[in-house]
Amino acid sequence: MLYRQLSLQVNESTQLAWWRTADFKDLLFIAYGLLVLLAVFASYLLGVMHWLPQDPDEIDMGAIMAGPLSSGHLLGTDFLGRDILTRLVLGIQAYFLPGLLAIGIALGLGAVAGVLAGYRGGRAAAVVLYGSNLLDSFPRLILVLLVIAAFKADIYYVMVVVGITAAPLVASLVKGKVHALQQKNFIESAVALGIPASTIIFKHILWYNCRSLLLIQATLGMAEAILIETSLSYLGFGVQEPTPSWGNMVQAGANYLLQGNFWPSTAPALAILATVLGFYLLGDGLNNILERRR
Amino acid sequence: MPQTSRLKPVILVVSRELLMTALLLLGISLVVFSIVYLAPGDPFEALLGAQAGAADRQAALQAMELPSTWYGQYLSWLGQLLQGDFGASLRSGAPVAQELIVTGGNTLYLIFGAMLVSLLFAVPIAVYSVNRQDAFSTWLVTMTAYLASALPLFWLGYVLIYIFTHQLGIFPVATGLHTDQPLGLSHLLLPVILLGIGNGAVGEILRHLRLELARVLGEEYVRTARAKGAPVWRHALAEGLILPVTEMVAAKLPHILSGAIIVEQVFNWPGVGRLTWQAALDRDYPVILAVAVVAAAMVRGGSLLHRCVYIWINPRASREH
Amino acid sequence: MKLKTSIISLVAIGGALVASLVMAQSNADGRPVGGVLNYGEYGRPASLDPVTSNDMIALRINELLFNGLVGINEKQEIVPELAQKWQVSPDGGVYTFTLRQDVKWHAKAGETPRPFTANDVVFTFNIMMHPKTVTPLKVRYEFIQEAKKLDDYTVQFILKRPILNALAKFTFKIIPEFGPQNSLYLRRDDPFVRNPIGTGPYRLEETTANGEVVMVANENYFLGRPHIDRFVAKPFADQNIMNQALMFNSIDMSVLVNPRDIPELQGDKRYVLQPYNALSYSFFGYNLRNPLLADKRVRKAFTLAINRDEMLDSFFNSRGTVISGPFAPGSWAYNLDVRPDPYDTEKARALLQEAGFTAGSDGFMSKNGMPLKLSLKVPIAKESEATKRVVLAFKSYLKKIGADIDVEFMEWQAWKEAVFLNHEFDIMFASWVFDDSADISSLFHSAEIGDWKNNFGAYSNPEVDGLLAEAKLSLDHEKKRTIYRKLHALLAEESPYTFLWTLTNYAGYNKKIRHVNIHPYKFFTFADTWYIPEGKQ
Repeated sequence: MLYRQLSLQVNESTQLAWWRTADFKDLLFIAYGLLVLLAVFASYLLGVMHWLPQDPDEIDMGAIMAGPLSSGHLLGTDFLGRDILTRLVLGIQAYFLPGLLAIGIALGLGAVAGVLAGYRGGRAAAVVLYGSNLLDSFPRLILVLLVIAAFKADIYYVMVVVGITAAPLVASLVKGKVHALQQKNFIESAVALGIPASTIIFKHILWYNCRSLLLIQATLGMAEAILIETSLSYLGFGVQEPTPSWGNMVQAGANYLLQGNFWPSTAPALAILATVLGFYLLGDGLNNILERRR
Repeated sequence: MPQTSRLKPVILVVSRELLMTALLLLGISLVVFSIVYLAPGDPFEALLGAQAGAADRQAALQAMELPSTWYGQYLSWLGQLLQGDFGASLRSGAPVAQELIVTGGNTLYLIFGAMLVSLLFAVPIAVYSVNRQDAFSTWLVTMTAYLASALPLFWLGYVLIYIFTHQLGIFPVATGLHTDQPLGLSHLLLPVILLGIGNGAVGEILRHLRLELARVLGEEYVRTARAKGAPVWRHALAEGLILPVTEMVAAKLPHILSGAIIVEQVFNWPGVGRLTWQAALDRDYPVILAVAVVAAAMVRGGSLLHRCVYIWINPRASREH
Repeated sequence: MKLKTSIISLVAIGGALVASLVMAQSNADGRPVGGVLNYGEYGRPASLDPVTSNDMIALRINELLFNGLVGINEKQEIVPELAQKWQVSPDGGVYTFTLRQDVKWHAKAGETPRPFTANDVVFTFNIMMHPKTVTPLKVRYEFIQEAKKLDDYTVQFILKRPILNALAKFTFKIIPEFGPQNSLYLRRDDPFVRNPIGTGPYRLEETTANGEVVMVANENYFLGRPHIDRFVAKPFADQNIMNQALMFNSIDMSVLVNPRDIPELQGDKRYVLQPYNALSYSFFGYNLRNPLLADKRVRKAFTLAINRDEMLDSFFNSRGTVISGPFAPGSWAYNLDVRPDPYDTEKARALLQEAGFTAGSDGFMSKNGMPLKLSLKVPIAKESEATKRVVLAFKSYLKKIGADIDVEFMEWQAWKEAVFLNHEFDIMFASWVFDDSADISSLFHSAEIGDWKNNFGAYSNPEVDGLLAEAKLSLDHEKKRTIYRKLHALLAEESPYTFLWTLTNYAGYNKKIRHVNIHPYKFFTFADTWYIPEGKQ
């Protein structure tokens, strides 16, 4: 099926160092993306080690919705008088592990389904196609709401749904890749050489030929995880207080936006913007460079 | 090539697609119903109010003449559906079909308007940027598209309302398609623009279109044809633009419907998104199932359209299917 | 800072001019007739008839469309409405109502209005009590044995047993016998619930495709034609946007202004903020099945440890009253002699220590190796900023006395099952809304412990049970009041809940609307006397 096929080429065994051939713009994209990754990782570490400017749960009823640069709060305070900077730093935790979980599920499930459909074909392909279509044809937000109601308002449940619903895309990409390999009789010759199926699948198909594709999907998946949590927060079903997430911070601050108080929602919104953009550009840059290595 | 030989594979694909769609609708309704049934609570909360006791709930179940088992409820719903009846909403008692028609118009307007906005935005940039890879201007526009895609949707909506309603007073607070406001048309624009530009769709469509266009233009025979000065734009347009566009339209429908839930709330838009959200909160399963089935059918319809276009453009490909 | 939306307001005035030219007439009381009132509601009503509906939005609409046998005036007294007079048998067991003979049901243009008779009253009662009618009202009227028509304009209700204030219960809205398609029972699939026919000051014209409920003045209203021509209920899904709609004249009135928007409206001369007392209060409820919370000293310590005044000041601009017991302060049952416990962390700590708790090295208390760690379950509401503030402040206050509170937000129906069915919680946060009967027996009586019952915390006290039973049987208002005052003091001491406050509700509206008087929870009861001056229509 040619459905949503990225035109990544088949054989990536060029020996030339990639940065020599790369476009300057793409390098810039990747550099920015890596910077964002670094910042994400750094703030995750800060949160885990509790190296924070202030206690994120410290409520100051005397300083509710204080502006930036006000006494002791560099970025001001939120609707409970809590320090916004601290909660911004901590907010990435809401996405870090859950986002990785979503990506892991999407890539794992997608790769398995894709290889199965592409390699085995026939009935397996039909089942995968059916499952993909099933997951593809229902609004994700509604699915997430129902799952939250059925289990628990927890970001991990949300991310499991996000991961599962993102798997069809990965599966179709991987399947396309396998088909491309088959057309070049790559797999046939590998089988003829007596290489075991597991080696072909894991080493030759997934590792040699799909890793860049999976990497790009991973970056996009992280961006998507953040945006979905934000939308859910608006509806009240994102990460729940007192745990900070950028989504619930934007939501809480936006209640005051129409009154002309921008800062409490704009600060986390900019954090989302910078981060999501970082993941987009990283994906774009990687894709362009791998494309060029044709 | 004679028309009949083009038509035959299309018919084949359509009939196969119809079978697949039927199976799919069955599957999706079963999955959605199971999740609704597994979720705590019941539809009677909406009928009896917060104080409903166990006996009241039981009495309501009997009074509504609903089967008491989950499979009974599902099968009776399915039976009704096969007779072309979506049943009645448990919350409002109104026929679901009627509610869907009333709200559906509003949402279809949003979805197709947004799709149009996305494409009006993405297609020119894609075409332009494929031809001039490194121009600064393409770079800038691309970045703008990405920026809009990377912002929280509802926050962007609030900002738009703040700018256009609060500060400039251009758009009134929106209330849907049917309006007696003399500025009727203008207030219809903002939600569509928001859903089209935000929601992450533009960035993704742009990325996809550019890749496809670059791929088609990079193909051996196109390059050769170009070098010889032969007109390739028709082929490039068909394969590099129309195909991916129909493909994106099909693939992005549920995503846009998700976005519509947000936009409808922000702009107070009486659409399917709000209806579905309320139904999910109320466990109003006839409504949720109807939306699931209709949305899935629409997605299948879109993907069918895409494949028909594909085969029409490229009849050889029907053999692959 | 804000620009006025010149285009919109200009158009609105232009449109109104035409309307006032067409019907420049005045009512008997001299107030002008005409104009449209668009009001914003947060959500959509599920049904519009008075029998099957249960949400506040529908309740308010019902006030415009329907009448009861008796009504309520601005001083909260029972006054005649569809009944012009009534008689009560000496034992209080039989109520006989004599009906007005000049009442007509709403009719569409061109139709002859049908008269209202005793048949309609009997029909309404019977359909309400039918087992297949799904309505939350049944339990309220189970004290009535039967409704009998004596003649076309006389109805008799025979009670199973006399109860106090029975008259107030006859405010239920009457629907016409010819209305519902099914004449035995009413369910929401009956078209009548969407297109109801009433006798009230306004008649339902349509529900638009946008979900707006349009109601027009009933020219034949038996108490005189209402002043304002149209009421339009506009549904909103976001309270911030609803407030914008009010500020920019898309609506003229918001029935409930979010506390955070009050300062903005207050500073604006174009709007009136009108307080109305809500018969409701918020509380933290404890699950006494948890042995740690079964000790009343622990519950009392929690009440002492939170600073309710500070929360009320910081979160609600002091717009409310801290309470000490289980009634709304506006109600006759509230005991003003019981003062709310003052904020006192020292005393709270002392009480915990007295109960056998000792502080660990991390500052948290424990008793016999059991840490004072409790779950607080809270339902998610989309506009739940106030709730979030209160529960997180609660957690922060209790941390200071060494209690570790784990706040968990849950989807509404999941929360209801956890609290009311499975009882899997330690502390919950919620509000009760009362009608004027102030009946709290279902909240604290030990017979009300069980699945889906309201005594979710399994509070059981023979003395309270006895007082509640006594109050229920009492037919003397003063005596009942005395019992309730005693109960109030007792429950304040026992603290099955930590009672918080009752908040003042605010309606916000454009100041062009005059003579606005609001009923605490039915809201539009007196709307037929509201008006808009001629120049502003």
